[in-house]
Amino acid sequence: MNTAIFKKPINFDPLLLIRLVGLLLIITGLTTGCNPSDKKAVTESATLLPKAKQIENFNLIHHAQGQSSGKFNKESIMDNWSMFFFGYTRCPDICPTALYMMSTMMRQIEDNPTAVKQIPQIIFVSVDPQQDKPEALQEFVSFFHPAIIGTTGEQSVVDKLVREVGAIYQRVYYLNENVVVFENQDSIPEQLKNAYLIDHSAAIYLFNPDGDLHAIFPMPHEPEVMIRDLAAIQQAWH
Amino acid sequence: MKTSIFAAIGALFLMFATFSANATSLLISDAWVRAAPPNAPALAAFMKLENPSAIEITIVSASTTLPVNRVELHRTIKADGMMKMVLQKTIPVPAHSSTVLKPGSWHIMLIKPETVPVIGESVQLTLQLSDGSSQTVTAIVEKGEMKNKKMMGCGSGKCGSGKCGSGK
Repeated sequence: MNTAIFKKPINFDPLLLIRLVGLLLIITGLTTGCNPSDKKAVTESATLLPKAKQIENFNLIHHAQGQSSGKFNKESIMDNWSMFFFGYTRCPDICPTALYMMSTMMRQIEDNPTAVKQIPQIIFVSVDPQQDKPEALQEFVSFFHPAIIGTTGEQSVVDKLVREVGAIYQRVYYLNENVVVFENQDSIPEQLKNAYLIDHSAAIYLFNPDGDLHAIFPMPHEPEVMIRDLAAIQQAWH
Repeated sequence: MKTSIFAAIGALFLMFATFSANATSLLISDAWVRAAPPNAPALAAFMKLENPSAIEITIVSASTTLPVNRVELHRTIKADGMMKMVLQKTIPVPAHSSTVLKPGSWHIMLIKPETVPVIGESVQLTLQLSDGSSQTVTAIVEKGEMKNKKMMGCGSGKCGSGKCGSGK
């Protein structure tokens, strides 16, 4: 009998102590170690960046309806929560879906303004300035919601912003229903210059009022979920 | 007596077999075109295609009475961290199965419409099948994801409360 009792300490898992200490540290960390400004929002769908990412200034063009073309840059997103989507107007499926989801979200917030701390601004960046002119782009996005901002600019400026947020896109050229790959822009024959579709990231990128990339909303962009996540993120932000 | 019963069963069998073999037409439902801005360069049409027959039916092309530059078959595919619009040569509808054209998946792309139809308008679409026959369907212009949700059943309740925008 006694031997049976003494068997236990012999089989004692040396890892157990480490595990217990680890657990204790985690609990302590959770209860006491959090700096209020660093507290993390608990989200359903959005992925928070471990640390908000600074984005360099960008100089894009925004053509507000009934006005002339103006600038859209980092200054334009300061002091606001901004949700960015990268697409193009010839996109028949993903972009209208995203725009529809974001416009539905905006209408739900308008119906219930206390659902979030601050109404976000929605920015649709065209990665296709070759074919999307600022005025037509704004007309396109306004159809979904009048507050949505359509912006684009020099391809290099757009590309830099795309890279900085971690989005990707690529033009896919077609010749007689087959995909054609070109080594570089110069090797594209003239008649195919506009015969492309664009594959692109379909996430929504959330910038905080400091103008830093704060969180990423993956698909599907359910309006109710985005509102709850946005509220949680805003609540947790200093 | 026995022979006549067998003959009757045989005849029934034949009827069924003939019926199945001839029924190479699709049952098309919930056809809709997504409402788009007046200056939209491309529209997408969606629908449910059911194939009750024992043979795969393939759509090889589509056309529309709506004045457009051209009509293409497309599929949105998630790959390499991107959503890809991939031009399709055909849209297959497997035997005794269905293919649903819906946002984020198969769709018919109407490129460069002369005028973009408004919500409630109907658009005629004709599908060319691989056996040379064709089928025409009337698609209604609707906004957003409404039909899509209905078609997906949306039993989670997650999307059911989603209100639809005014689409202005």
